[in-house]
Amino acid sequence: MKRPVRLEPGQKLVLTANRLLDGRTVWWGADGTWDLHIGRASLLDAEDADAVLARVVAEAQRDGVVGVYDTAVQAAVPPEPVTVREKIRAHGPTVHPEFAVETDQ
Amino acid sequence: MSLPVGHYQYDRIDRDFLQARIAEFEGQVQRRLDGTLSEDEFKPLRLMNGLYLQLHAYMLRVAIPYGILDSRQLRRLGEIARRYDRDYGHFTTRQNIQFNWIRLEDTPAILRELAEVDMHAIQTSGNCIRNVTADEYAGAAADELVDPRVHAEILRQWSTLHPEFTFLPRKFKIAISGSPNDRVAARFHDIGILARPGEDGAPVFRIFVGGGLGRTPIIGEELFDSVREEHLLATLEAIVRVYNAHGRRDNIYKARIKILVQAIGVEAYREAVEAELAQMNLERYRLTPEAVAAIRSRFAVPLLEAPADADAVLAEQRRADPIFDRWVRSNTHVHRDPGHIIATISLKPAGGIPGDATSAQIGRLADLADAYSFGEIRITHLQNVVLGHVRKDRLRDLWLGLAEVGLAEANIGLIGDIVACPGLDYCALANARSIPIAQKLGARFADTALQAEIGALRINISGCINACGHHHAGHIGLLGVDKRGEEFFQLTVGGRAENGAAIGTILGAALPEDETVDAIARLVDCYLGRREGGETFLDTLTRLGHEPFREAAYETV
Repeated sequence: MKRPVRLEPGQKLVLTANRLLDGRTVWWGADGTWDLHIGRASLLDAEDADAVLARVVAEAQRDGVVGVYDTAVQAAVPPEPVTVREKIRAHGPTVHPEFAVETDQ
Repeated sequence: MSLPVGHYQYDRIDRDFLQARIAEFEGQVQRRLDGTLSEDEFKPLRLMNGLYLQLHAYMLRVAIPYGILDSRQLRRLGEIARRYDRDYGHFTTRQNIQFNWIRLEDTPAILRELAEVDMHAIQTSGNCIRNVTADEYAGAAADELVDPRVHAEILRQWSTLHPEFTFLPRKFKIAISGSPNDRVAARFHDIGILARPGEDGAPVFRIFVGGGLGRTPIIGEELFDSVREEHLLATLEAIVRVYNAHGRRDNIYKARIKILVQAIGVEAYREAVEAELAQMNLERYRLTPEAVAAIRSRFAVPLLEAPADADAVLAEQRRADPIFDRWVRSNTHVHRDPGHIIATISLKPAGGIPGDATSAQIGRLADLADAYSFGEIRITHLQNVVLGHVRKDRLRDLWLGLAEVGLAEANIGLIGDIVACPGLDYCALANARSIPIAQKLGARFADTALQAEIGALRINISGCINACGHHHAGHIGLLGVDKRGEEFFQLTVGGRAENGAAIGTILGAALPEDETVDAIARLVDCYLGRREGGETFLDTLTRLGHEPFREAAYETV
């Protein structure tokens, strides 16, 4: 059973996954598509996230993504993940600036 | 085609098998893409072919059996890095190479390209017997008693697709050496094997079991002192059978053989192995001299010829060039042939990423191997590269060639020769980043004269408790931990993987990432200030105990 998410003030949830074809980190947008840029991620309230997550997981194969889950972000523009792990997933490895994922596109 | 120096020459059976396996995997990929296979169904299949899904992309881990490649294979790895990855590869602590930016749909094509040069990614993941590692100086070192590569190849053939051992309780790692100086961390493996000549000249094998790092670091215990060559496979078969039958499958953290050996004791484990041997058909597993000779015949022996003055030429070049001399002191090892020398090429440039090499560097290494070492290359478990048979009078030319591509760092075995896992920059399991702290330490101690002054000191960094950076075995070890979303590093001192294997002792509470480099610098200062005579870091630590180092690490002024 999924652990209830506790969000701090100013935080929201976003949905993330990896693309099936190339494994790239993607974020679920309000238009229902998956995007490389966290800046286009849809911000969800904790009470809404489970239902959206269940729907998106069910469509993962059709959408070409794998390993869908939710993660907390600071609800800024662009949203910024709370954990180091998700920051690195969002922006790319810190040791190769040339591989960085731009967040403002 | 002539036989390769250093590794086994595949035959038609090997190549047909690889093609069949690739075709099978290509079908599995296709079924995954069209949805016939779910991710849960596909995951174990891709892992059996070395394909992981990491933070940013798929990662393909390619096997380098006993760490030895020929130049054609290395060149192909560079081409794969250029064509399918982001122009670099990462050499691992298991003597393998990983590509971090692989596309699932490209994987069958990559595997075909690997198969063209007799390589694959099978059993680089999963709960099976993984790539067998061996002494990086095998067949070359003056201190070697038995060349372990022929037996490593026998173990490779025995363990590849072994029908009983495809679904072990957990992964299983074997290392083999034929030197009295343990360069394979034998006592930190599920099975560690040390070969030496027996009374009749045929090799005998000292076997350790139940060693390992990870969550529960344990030093392997001697199971047998002198297993005869003819019984080597039977003995290993029995050891793994006992583990397969009794190893825990209910708890992933208790599933390695080390937990079983600790639970029942090494004497009981030995009795179980002997009981298994007693009911086995030993004839089926007998390793005959003819079988060993047949494997040996598929290795080429390098023709070691050098001018009579090769040693004198090198000595003069060292006198004339102190920078070259420093590199020779740190980066070479004594060869069994007086006209040759073993060169270790550091993949640890100051401030660089340990174990990474660009495709251009990989291609250049292949060229240099052709020019200077019979086209043979070894990958070390310390994430460096070895050219095993370099003529002494040509060593300086090699060094100059290495310098052209940034591979002439003089730091082997020194503080700049840092071992680090990929960490949280890539790895889905990691809690903290390993590479940035390695880069900071490398930059802090970049001065090669300072490194030489500090002397033998190994730093190992792991980004999580799985310990792929072997931090427990580092003279100074760093373990990355996550504390409420922030990276901290726990320090250990006194670990060693070589003779006298020891697990590092935790110095105290984990330090914030931005305080860790300073803390290590204070540890080094403590050592430099208090060492006596020619003491190494470990010598001083042993003499003084941990307390002065603990005080230095946690000094807050």
